Amino acid sequence: MMLAGGLALALALPASGTLAADAARGAALAEERNCGACHGARGVSAIENIPSLAGQQPEFIALQLVLFREGLRDVPPMEAPSSGLTDEQVEDLAAHFASLPHAPPEDRAPRNAEAFARGEALAGPLRCGICHRADLSGQNQVPHIAAQREDFLAESLRAYRDDKRRGSDTQMNGVVQGLSDADIAALAHYVAQR
Amino acid sequence: MPPTPWRLPLACALTLAISLPALAQQPAPAAAAPAASPSWAQGRGAEQANSPLAPHSPRLTATPADRIPVDAIRLPAGFRAELWASGMPGARMMTRGEDGTVYVGTRTIGRVYAIKDEGGTRTPRVLAQRLDNPNGVAVRDGSLYVIAINRVLRYDNIAQNPNAEPVDLTQAFALPTEAHHGWKFASFGPDGKLYMNIGAPCNVCDIDENKHALIVRFNPDGSGREVVGRGVRNSVGFDWQPGTGVLYASNNARDWVSNEVPQDTLHRLNRVGEHHGFPFCSGEAWQDPGHAGRVCSEFPAPVAMLGSHTAPLGMRFYGGTMFPENYRGRAFVARHGSWNRDAKSGFDVVTVTLNADGSRGTVEPFLTGLLDSGDNSFKGRPTDVMVMPDGSMLVSDELNGAIYRISYAR
Repeated sequence: MMLAGGLALALALPASGTLAADAARGAALAEERNCGACHGARGVSAIENIPSLAGQQPEFIALQLVLFREGLRDVPPMEAPSSGLTDEQVEDLAAHFASLPHAPPEDRAPRNAEAFARGEALAGPLRCGICHRADLSGQNQVPHIAAQREDFLAESLRAYRDDKRRGSDTQMNGVVQGLSDADIAALAHYVAQR
Repeated sequence: MPPTPWRLPLACALTLAISLPALAQQPAPAAAAPAASPSWAQGRGAEQANSPLAPHSPRLTATPADRIPVDAIRLPAGFRAELWASGMPGARMMTRGEDGTVYVGTRTIGRVYAIKDEGGTRTPRVLAQRLDNPNGVAVRDGSLYVIAINRVLRYDNIAQNPNAEPVDLTQAFALPTEAHHGWKFASFGPDGKLYMNIGAPCNVCDIDENKHALIVRFNPDGSGREVVGRGVRNSVGFDWQPGTGVLYASNNARDWVSNEVPQDTLHRLNRVGEHHGFPFCSGEAWQDPGHAGRVCSEFPAPVAMLGSHTAPLGMRFYGGTMFPENYRGRAFVARHGSWNRDAKSGFDVVTVTLNADGSRGTVEPFLTGLLDSGDNSFKGRPTDVMVMPDGSMLVSDELNGAIYRISYAR
C-alpha cells in the first residue's frame, strides 16, 4: 500500500544539465524491456486488449508509465516493465513510441456501417472530439484513439464506466457514465475505424 | 539481477483483464457523481459546446533544475526569487514541521514529499505514495496529518521517526468519497482544530449544504465535526488573520458562464456556519440563473475579487518581518492559473491588503512572469505560499515540481 522506509524511495533527481527526452535512448530501453513482445515490434499491437503505442501522444505515455510505476493504475502485466523507471527513462520511452508511425492493427475488422453510424452518433454528443480533437489524434495527456484496437477501446471504456480506471482526473468516468455495453461496442468500433 | 518478467514474452499471455486498481481500496471514486456529463463540461452553454478549453495536463516527471523558469519570475524591487527545492513532480500544498522539515502534498502522482534542509542542501524524499490526491498536509504536536480525498493518516513523531507507519483516522473523520473537488487543503487553526475544505462534487449542481461546498473543522482525532462555512464551492487555501484570528479563505467560482464571469474570490468567515452563496451567488454578486432559489443579498459579500478563472489556491497572511513594513499583514494568494478562459489569467501570486475592519481588500500583483500573454502560454503554476521563520516565503510550482524562495533585501 504505502512504502514506509526511505528504502528505495530516494528520488531520482535529474542531474543538472539532463538532456531532453531522447527517442533513440527510448528505443534501446524499449528493446531491453521487451515492450514489442506485447505492443508490437513497431508499436502496433497484434494482441487482443493490448494497445498500440505507435504515434501516441508522448505526454499520455509518460503519464500512464508514471501511474503504472507508482502503483496508481493497476494492470499486472505492466507492473514489472514499469518498475524502477527513472523519470528520464519514462520521457525517453514516450518520445520513442510517439516517434513511431501510427497505423491501424493488421487484424482490424472491416467496417460495419451500422455500428460505425451508431458510434458516430454517440461520439458527437459525448464531445469526444473536443479533448481528443476532431480527428481523434489527442493532445497532451489526452490519448490518440483513432485506429486504436477495437477490443482495447471497448475494454478501456468499460473500465472508465465501471470506475475501474481513472486518468489524471475523472473526466472520462463522467463522459461514459451510463453507457450500455452495446453503446460502448459501437463507440469502440467507430473510433477504431477512424 | 533476478530474472525480470518483462523479458518474457509470456507476460502478455498472462491475464490481461484490467483488475481493480489500487485506488479501489477506497470507496469507488466517481460512482457517486450524479451528473451525466463530465464535471468539466457541466454548465456549458450551447454557444460554448465546441469550445476547445479543457483542464491543463499535469506533468508527472521531474523537471531538471536548469529548466525551471526561476529566471522568468518578476517581483517588486528588492525582492529576489531563487530555486529552493526541485525534483518533486506535482508539488502543491506545503506545511512545516517543528524541526523545519517541509512536507508537500500532491494530487495525481499520489505522493507526499519531505524536504529537510541539511547544511544548505535540500534533497526531497518521498514520504508516502500510492495515495489518492494527498493534497492536504498539516502538522500539530509533532504529528503530520495527510488527507487524501476521504483518507486521513497521522504520522506521529515525524521529526524523530521519519519512516513511521501512519495511524489511519479515515473512519473517525468519515469524509465524503467524491473525487471531484475532493482534494483537501488542511490546516490547524488557532483553536487547535483541524480545518479542511470539502468541495462541491461538480462544476455547478444542487448540493447538500451540510455535506459539500464547505469548510469544516474537527478535533485532531476526527471527532467534533463542525461546519465553519457553507456555500464555499471549493477553497484550496485559507489562513487566520494575525491579531484578529479571523479566518479568510480563497474560493474557486464555477466555470462555463463566460470569460469574465463569475470572478474567483477571497472570503472572510466571520460567523461559524455562515453561508457564502454557492450555488446561488458567486463572484461579484453574480446570480446564477440556474440556481435562483436564493439571492446574493442573503450572503456576505466577498472581501476581494481575485479575477475570473484564475484559480486562487494557497493563501496565507504575511506575519514575518523580512518583507517591508507595508507587506506585513497582507494576504498572499497563489493563483494557479486559468483553463476555462480564452485569454489565460493567473499563474502568479497576488497580495490582498485588507481595510481597517477586514471587510474589503485591495489586490495587487506580486510574483509575475510565468504567464506570457503574448502567446497565451505559461511556464509555471504557483500553487501554495508559506511564510518561513526567517520571514522569507516559499512558493510551490506544481507544473515544475519546484519550490521557490522569495526573500527581500534592501
